[in-house]
Amino acid sequence: MIVLITFMILTAIVLERTVGQRALVAEEERLQLLIYSLLAAVDRNRAGMSITISANRLFENSLMTRDSGLYAILYNADREQIWRSRSITQELPDIEKIAPGDWQFKTMEYASKPYFRLAFAIQWPDVRDRLQRYDVVIWQDAGDYFEQLDRFRQTLWTWLIVTIALLLVVMYLVMMWSLRPLKQVGLEIKAIEDRQQTGFEHDYPREIAPLTENLNILLSREQCQQQRYRNAMDDLAHSLKTPLAVLSGLSDSESSARVDLEVLREQVDSMNQIVSYQLQKASSAFGAKISKPVDLVQIIARIVSALDKVYREKSVRVETGLPPAIMLRMDESDCLEVIGNLLDNAFKYSRGHVVISASEAATGEIKLTIEDDGEGLEAKEIEQILNRGTRLDQVSEGQGIGLAVVADIVKSYNIGMAFKRSVLGGLGVQLLFQTV
Amino acid sequence: MRAIVIEDDLELQRQIVGRLKQEGFAVDAADNGDEGLYLLQEYPCDVAIVDLGLPKLSGLEVINAIRKQGSNIPVLILTARGRWQDKVEGLDAGADDYLVKPFHYEEMMARIRVLIRRASGWSDSRIVCSPVSLDTVTQRSYVDERELDLTAFEYKVLEYLMLHAGEVISKTVLTEHLYDDEADRDSNVIEVFIRRLRQKLDPDENMQPIETLRGRGYRFTLARVEQGK
Repeated sequence: MIVLITFMILTAIVLERTVGQRALVAEEERLQLLIYSLLAAVDRNRAGMSITISANRLFENSLMTRDSGLYAILYNADREQIWRSRSITQELPDIEKIAPGDWQFKTMEYASKPYFRLAFAIQWPDVRDRLQRYDVVIWQDAGDYFEQLDRFRQTLWTWLIVTIALLLVVMYLVMMWSLRPLKQVGLEIKAIEDRQQTGFEHDYPREIAPLTENLNILLSREQCQQQRYRNAMDDLAHSLKTPLAVLSGLSDSESSARVDLEVLREQVDSMNQIVSYQLQKASSAFGAKISKPVDLVQIIARIVSALDKVYREKSVRVETGLPPAIMLRMDESDCLEVIGNLLDNAFKYSRGHVVISASEAATGEIKLTIEDDGEGLEAKEIEQILNRGTRLDQVSEGQGIGLAVVADIVKSYNIGMAFKRSVLGGLGVQLLFQTV
Repeated sequence: MRAIVIEDDLELQRQIVGRLKQEGFAVDAADNGDEGLYLLQEYPCDVAIVDLGLPKLSGLEVINAIRKQGSNIPVLILTARGRWQDKVEGLDAGADDYLVKPFHYEEMMARIRVLIRRASGWSDSRIVCSPVSLDTVTQRSYVDERELDLTAFEYKVLEYLMLHAGEVISKTVLTEHLYDDEADRDSNVIEVFIRRLRQKLDPDENMQPIETLRGRGYRFTLARVEQGK
């Protein structure tokens, strides 16, 4: 707004100055033409030694009308007025000396009136062909010029002020109209803060709709997260009660002096698994749709490089059949968790050969397969492993929670997961990803 | 073997150090990253156990710093965070293995032994330089089928020499890797243990498994035999 007004004012200033300068140049050119017409009317005087201007050869009537505002004077080399127009009724000040052939244009004030004065120095041969110097000077009353210029300025600035005022009103109205949806957004945010509503409910113009839709996704994610934290805390508290009851029983027993270390250790392990599982579940982004895309191939490369280090003495041969990149809309940490757990299992249980391959499924999704040449698992065992997360208080010693965490994450992202017997003899895990 | 433990929880540090000493390790410990980095730069060691969340300098920064200086000490990281993102970051930084807290000390020791063996080029827990063999898990040693009756320190000397079979090990290196700071570092003690080991390994003086290189140190002369090869 301020920029626009400043631009308009600057434009008006430039316009005003340009018009003023053009008018001044036009005035100077008109006076130059008048001097040329005076020179056309030059005659020798009777003695032939000097020159004069024949009044009957002048076309400009204003020079003949008394006090017309246009005056002409011819000076000789001695600065004597050898001819003056009939319009002159008062003495006019002398001019400064200028070189022959030069023009001198000035705007000046004399007797409280503004004048344009144009002087031109010439050389004219006398009867003896000696060059004599003369100055032709024109005085023009500039009152009308400045009056017109003032009128132009007045008109210009009046219209400018009117235009700016109109523009301000229009802009204010447009802004009020266009910001109305944002005002509505503000009101809805206040309502969400006050827990009167759970998300943005109004229909918004298409410019703002993506913002409110994304905010709704974010809000829903936050609400899910909060709900998950609540559930996790609830699950944690409940599932810790069983091992705590056992420990409490141990401390109450008569033989507490000889606490059964094996039972103690089992219960501590169980509590550790419960806490680990709930922590992993709580820290997952769980189906975040606004995560930036991750490259599955890069994640697989990072995990394989890390596992190569951990299982170096096993010298696992990893065979990969992957495209250069597979871009997924998934939280990087969740993707690392899924691939890390599956590949860790493959490395751990393989006899030394793991195959990772990807192909396009008929539905257009990417099918990632991780296979190993280990013992493999029976369908019943797989079901038990996947259900570990749901009944944590039934976890027994030695059971990992990796696959249960993977199952939770893939479910939240609607990623298909299937287990099969690998052609290598061990377990084969298939994941169906939606690519970006 | 000498281990450096960098763990800021003093109770956990005390337990880890205690367990390592019980297993025959000489141990140096620090409770912050700065001091830990100093120990790793200034003292020789066979394995470092580094917690990731350390005051002053994080575990990752410590590992990064020693790897940049070209150190290839095996590093086992301890982390309270079990997510793969944290494990991968630790391994990417230069760690060799990770252990998620809480952990069983048996698992910690097993992983430490694997790292030490791996650093010396052994892949199996049973180290064999035929006819002498050593089980690093049960800490028993044999010549053919005959089990040797070694003291804890004799076992430590034999394990170190066999892990570095074929290499010349100076008395100073042996002392630094086998003794605690406060322990007696008189090099005569090493000579005594070497003499006793020779008698127990080779009573008939047929094999001469430990060679003395005057002014340079000792060398285990029997050839390595990789299991399964």
